[in-house]
Amino acid sequence: MQNFLSRVKTALTGAADTPLVFLGNFEVEDQWADGEAGLPRTAFRSSAAVVNRMDEFAMLLAGADDLVVLKAAPDEAYLAHLGELGVALPRLLTVARNNPEQTVTKDALADPALLTTLGELAGRGAMLSPHGTSVLEEELAERSGLPLATPSAAVCKAVNSKIYSRRVADETGLRQAAGWTADTLDELESAVEEARSLLVFGRRVVVKDAFGVSGKGIAVIENEQRLDRLHTMIQRQAAKSGDNRVSLLIEEWVDKVADLNYQFTVARDGSVHFDFVKEAITEGGVHKGHRIPARLDQRQTGEVEKAARVLGERLAEDGFHGVVGVDAMVDPDGQLYPVIEINARNNMSTYQVRMQETFVAEGQIVLARQYPLRLTGRLPYERLRRVLDGLLLSGPGGSGLLVNNFATVNAGASEERDRSFDGRLYGLLLAEDQDRLTALDAEIAGRLAAETEGSVR
Amino acid sequence: MSETQVIDPQKIITVISAALADVLKRDPDSITETTRLFDDLGLDSTSVLELLMRLEDEIGVEFDTDTLEQRHFESVATLADYVAEQA
Repeated sequence: MQNFLSRVKTALTGAADTPLVFLGNFEVEDQWADGEAGLPRTAFRSSAAVVNRMDEFAMLLAGADDLVVLKAAPDEAYLAHLGELGVALPRLLTVARNNPEQTVTKDALADPALLTTLGELAGRGAMLSPHGTSVLEEELAERSGLPLATPSAAVCKAVNSKIYSRRVADETGLRQAAGWTADTLDELESAVEEARSLLVFGRRVVVKDAFGVSGKGIAVIENEQRLDRLHTMIQRQAAKSGDNRVSLLIEEWVDKVADLNYQFTVARDGSVHFDFVKEAITEGGVHKGHRIPARLDQRQTGEVEKAARVLGERLAEDGFHGVVGVDAMVDPDGQLYPVIEINARNNMSTYQVRMQETFVAEGQIVLARQYPLRLTGRLPYERLRRVLDGLLLSGPGGSGLLVNNFATVNAGASEERDRSFDGRLYGLLLAEDQDRLTALDAEIAGRLAAETEGSVR
Repeated sequence: MSETQVIDPQKIITVISAALADVLKRDPDSITETTRLFDDLGLDSTSVLELLMRLEDEIGVEFDTDTLEQRHFESVATLADYVAEQA
């Protein structure tokens, strides 16, 4: 059977052996949202440095014949450990200057030597494969001469709008919460009136930015006063900019018992391949990890696969090809809502597949986990390895943690002494059963907490 | 701002603390003037918006989100100063 990477390459480029240059430009949504009026936004992000270093995930998606552009060279001890585990690593290209506040794409655009290198790779048949494609990745492709393996930024942006997701679900008859979309202030006014009728009956609604990152760019509204307040804030913002266009939607809040994320691949020829469904673990709206396999019954699994086919065919008609992740959920009655939003880009899960193929044995379960850390100084991989001695994965079929991004641990490190910073340790936790998995998870969190003297949640 | 009003600084602190406790589901007694919003309370972009909506409702100010900077959210006291400037 063809492995995931070969299948993605075939879907993206038409050939299983095309060398790809991966670019982990996470939170590409910020770029898609540029110029779109939505919920009132504050001009800061608390964790940009950490998010931008999520670029290192691409290293474990790429194969030995591929390349990855990174903001900074990975920790040598981390690379050495991956080598010991038998992971064939891609060739790594590092930008000349890592600006922590910028995505890897922006750093790459500011590096003339790297642009030249990328251009040379084009001559050897390589193609650029970003996490998601915005005008910046398009600019990188144009300036370097390395062609994009994805569709244009315009197509990618259009199909990643939550307004598009709602429209497609309506047109294809896929179940979704009651809701209304707004491209203009007039449409927003109508949507607010519709939402009001739900609030009167004690229901809640959620107002969403069309281009918000999952779990961000949303406001949950419980009463009319708050709805009117938000509406006024949006109108005020529009009056100031003199633009009556908005990109918003309002939906009824549906309680859920499980968040799901499924992935499929749409090939250039329009064929659709269902990849997998995972159960997402979120805490307060923030993605904390995935459980594999998802706890779904046969009927639900069938519905997910059907939705993937329907959405994939529609995306192909609209000019998209590539990896697609869809957020879905199960309500307390066991009803599946198969399309909450379409993310026509790589997803967290995408970056785990190659490692799953390499290390997970039949019957094992996997928890893709994120451990938040509060650090007072850089934590080198070598020390982490000692701290987690006996708990790290030692090879295929074993149980333990495989770190799948280490850059995010120290991304927030400051030059100022004694200033603490937040980091994240991402890993795949493998075990033969749920009990062992839970025990391992607790032991890892405990040891990390003891080491960092902070609270590892 | 449609009208100028003077609000007691202590009242602003009290309203901000109560709003934060409510939005972030914390014990109101655990929040003081020096409590840091990101570091101690884990404020994020979604909760910032909810907080601003509440403060507009309860204090009668109108925020211009373009002028809000990270430093205004350092602590309860810095946010209170900003709110007082806007009122």
